[in-house]
Amino acid sequence: MIIFDWQHELNRKGHRVAISGQPIAMHCHHYNINLQKTLEDTLGDEGVQLLYQSAEETSYHGFQNLFNQYKKIRTIKSKLELAAMLYQNSGLGIIHFQRVRPSGARIESPASHHVTGWLAKHGRRDTPGCHFTRGWIAGTLEAIYSLPCGFYTVDETKCKMKRDDECIFHVQER
Amino acid sequence: MAIDGTKIVHAVMEGSKIRESKGIIPLFGVYLSLLSVEYYNNLSFDFEEKMGKTREAEAEALLIEAAQECGYATFQGIRNSWEWEQIVSPMIETKEDQILGFAAVAVAFGWGDLEVKELVPGEKLVIKVGDSYEARGYLKNYERTHSSKCYMLRGVTGAFMDLLYGEDYPDGCFDFSAEEPFCRAKGDPCCEFIARKSSCKKNT
Ligand SMILES: [Zn+2]
Ligand SMILES: [Zn+2]
Repeated sequence: MIIFDWQHELNRKGHRVAISGQPIAMHCHHYNINLQKTLEDTLGDEGVQLLYQSAEETSYHGFQNLFNQYKKIRTIKSKLELAAMLYQNSGLGIIHFQRVRPSGARIESPASHHVTGWLAKHGRRDTPGCHFTRGWIAGTLEAIYSLPCGFYTVDETKCKMKRDDECIFHVQER
Repeated sequence: MAIDGTKIVHAVMEGSKIRESKGIIPLFGVYLSLLSVEYYNNLSFDFEEKMGKTREAEAEALLIEAAQECGYATFQGIRNSWEWEQIVSPMIETKEDQILGFAAVAVAFGWGDLEVKELVPGEKLVIKVGDSYEARGYLKNYERTHSSKCYMLRGVTGAFMDLLYGEDYPDGCFDFSAEEPFCRAKGDPCCEFIARKSSCKKNT
């Protein structure tokens, strides 16, 4: 297991809270889902793209920063492990990286903050809705493989917001 | 002041390190996420930009609304939670102390250094924030601007008053609304939020 002490990494200086030195805010599902719904309802596909891109850029910068701090985390396997752990420890859910290669990946998520939050607030939807997670996956893998931000596209073929058993994500080169 | 913010901060920091096997953090009656402030700032300010000059006011209103509705549901959950009962309730002497408890939770969540400056029961709430992550994020990416930018805190200030002096839950959301006359994004030394009774209540 990798050397990463969560208890130590999540800390605060006065009113500022940080994970590994990067400022964070705690928000609940009401806010996260409200923002998603506002953007989707107001801007349609453009709003979806905005959610995706914001998550992509943030996770890209976050992981670049983290890997710079933890030079000992070198292998792809350990980086993926760290990413999944961070996802879980941030309350975002469970993510299983499977068949991950530089050219693409398949990822499963049996549980997530956004799914739980969406279902609690709005119930089932007809289209896949994990735009945050799609963007997060793209940015994370781009940082892990030292590729430019925007290199991958991530599609969600099954989604628990539609009452599929799991969320399934496919990653390909753009 | 009967409210000891450090106790609340401690409870939130400890609680946010506990998660169930699904990677969900249930705390104070809500599901919590720990996300980079960059994410929220990108989302709000890019949304505003995408909406363009012609829909600027609409974008602003939507972001404030999303936050107020969230603040209303969130802090209702929080004040009815087991953690509130255990940690905050013993410190509350008057109805008004609840607002101090809410503000302390917001500080614990990393939203900024909220300070309640004035509270006129049923009428007016003034909250001062020297370091809101929204203003800080705005100034990091943009030039100083002519309008206030802390939409999340603005909505939340309104929600605090809704919960105390609005109609009973869940009918009181938007009974109050807040302005942000001073904002660091405009070059003011700090951000200030003033909530008053809404002149006309939005339909929810
Ligand atoms: Zn999904
Ligand atoms: Zn401000």
